[in-house]
Amino acid sequence: MIEFKQVSKDYISNIGKEVKPALREVSFSVKDGEFVTLCGRSGAGKTTILKMIACEEKPTNGSVIFYGQDTMDIKEKDAYCIRQQLGFIFQDFKLLPYKTVFENVAYALEVTGQDTKKARDEVMKVLDLVGLTKKANRFPKELSGGEQQRTSIARALIHRPRIILADEPTGNLDPYHSRDIMKVLMKINEAGSTIVLSTHNKEIVNTIKKRVITVDDGRIVRDEENGMFFI
Amino acid sequence: MKLKINLFKSETMVNYIKKIIIGGWKNFKRQGFLSFATALIIFIVVLLGTSLFVFEGGVKFFSEKIRDKMDVSVYFKESVDRETILDLKSQVEKLPEVKSIEYISPEDAYETFSKAHQNDTFSQSLQAIQINPFLASLKIQTTSPEKYKTVAEFFKKEEVAPYVRDINDHKRGEIIEKFSNIATNVENVGLILTIILSIIAIIITYNTVRLSIHSQRMEIEVMHLVGAKNSLVRGPFLVQGMLSGFFAAFIAFVISLVAVLLLRDKLLSVTDGFDIYALYMTNLSMVILLQLGLGIGLGLISSYIAIKRYLKE
Repeated sequence: MIEFKQVSKDYISNIGKEVKPALREVSFSVKDGEFVTLCGRSGAGKTTILKMIACEEKPTNGSVIFYGQDTMDIKEKDAYCIRQQLGFIFQDFKLLPYKTVFENVAYALEVTGQDTKKARDEVMKVLDLVGLTKKANRFPKELSGGEQQRTSIARALIHRPRIILADEPTGNLDPYHSRDIMKVLMKINEAGSTIVLSTHNKEIVNTIKKRVITVDDGRIVRDEENGMFFI
Repeated sequence: MKLKINLFKSETMVNYIKKIIIGGWKNFKRQGFLSFATALIIFIVVLLGTSLFVFEGGVKFFSEKIRDKMDVSVYFKESVDRETILDLKSQVEKLPEVKSIEYISPEDAYETFSKAHQNDTFSQSLQAIQINPFLASLKIQTTSPEKYKTVAEFFKKEEVAPYVRDINDHKRGEIIEKFSNIATNVENVGLILTIILSIIAIIITYNTVRLSIHSQRMEIEVMHLVGAKNSLVRGPFLVQGMLSGFFAAFIAFVISLVAVLLLRDKLLSVTDGFDIYALYMTNLSMVILLQLGLGIGLGLISSYIAIKRYLKE
């Protein structure tokens, strides 16, 4: 379970050393197995929330509790322990360009200390789930945007994470591929994984009919079950 | 619930290292241009290091040669008999500054001169006068050219001076000193050149590796986000750097060996005996060690420093 307790985050701009608040006293929690959509305009603070869950950013005030552990107590070099419990899907896919589809997916297993050879079947199973078995030996630049995002999803799933964080996963895709990706995410959620999705796509938010947290100017302005796009 | 996971729970340290080596090898192969650029710079550095090693060998050879040709000759008066000179010789031999000493009798000197000037006017005139004008002498080599003065001083002592006709420590002394200074200067210049070029080489290699790693900073970030430990991010980059260094050293070895073989005969005739091939081959293990050490060391250290700024510690 994830819990945000009165979390504020300030960024200091390089020019003029101006303080820019990204989050202001945000409090909410995510239960196991939930599908939570964070929606709001660009710059509202959605990505900052995801980065805090992944321990990539620390709060300026308040605390983020990840399965009972305050992320403030985790040193930067030990943050991998948290990240190994997560699956991250990015808008720009963030695949490793010199690794094949298979290796990109297997990498998430390798970092957790699993033997890639033994995990071969598992990787192929996940690639089958996202429909990329035939493209396992291709490099990311040889794939379409949708295929790259499916690889990214496969990488996020392979180590059976507790939570999947999806930051604008359909932002770079056409409506057809977007629906495809959302279907995969829904399937994963039905299988028991917790999903935290950040998006500003109205159609997607209104279609999935799950919990929606609306963020505006660093504050939570609405948090409702079966929510709809607001703003 | 505590989150600490034991990384090696399901794999051994050997597998972990194997994974890092394979990762580094794949990156090296797949990032062809980056690997080539890095290896090329390291190759230049290794070749430079090898050249400096050979250059230093050459400088040593020539300094030794110049120094060997420097000696002090002491000529004795006609009236001084052989035994007295040999007695002085044994006294001089005991001086710590003396490396070697040779007695040259008037007959030996005559014979040497005759051989060197066969059929020329000097030899003919010498035969015409029917006398041997050469004096007995001692040819002394000191351990270092600067010490000839001490030896000359010995023959200027009150009890020895009456036997001596001449010591060639005037103009010849200046020449000896000049040559000695030149040899020392060449050695010093070689050393300074080595140090300066090594520093430049290290800076260039480091910057090439840094640029190569900088171009992959996004990938390093992704590795972290996927949950890679610092050592798993760093490891393949270090292996990649070492591989670039290894290949650079290997190519440098082959090219330097070919160059030495090609230059051997020409240098032998031009330099009066400097055998570059023999120098290379007698120091072969040293050369290989220098090339591998320089190549792999530079690749490893540059990668280690360059990757450090991208690791969150």
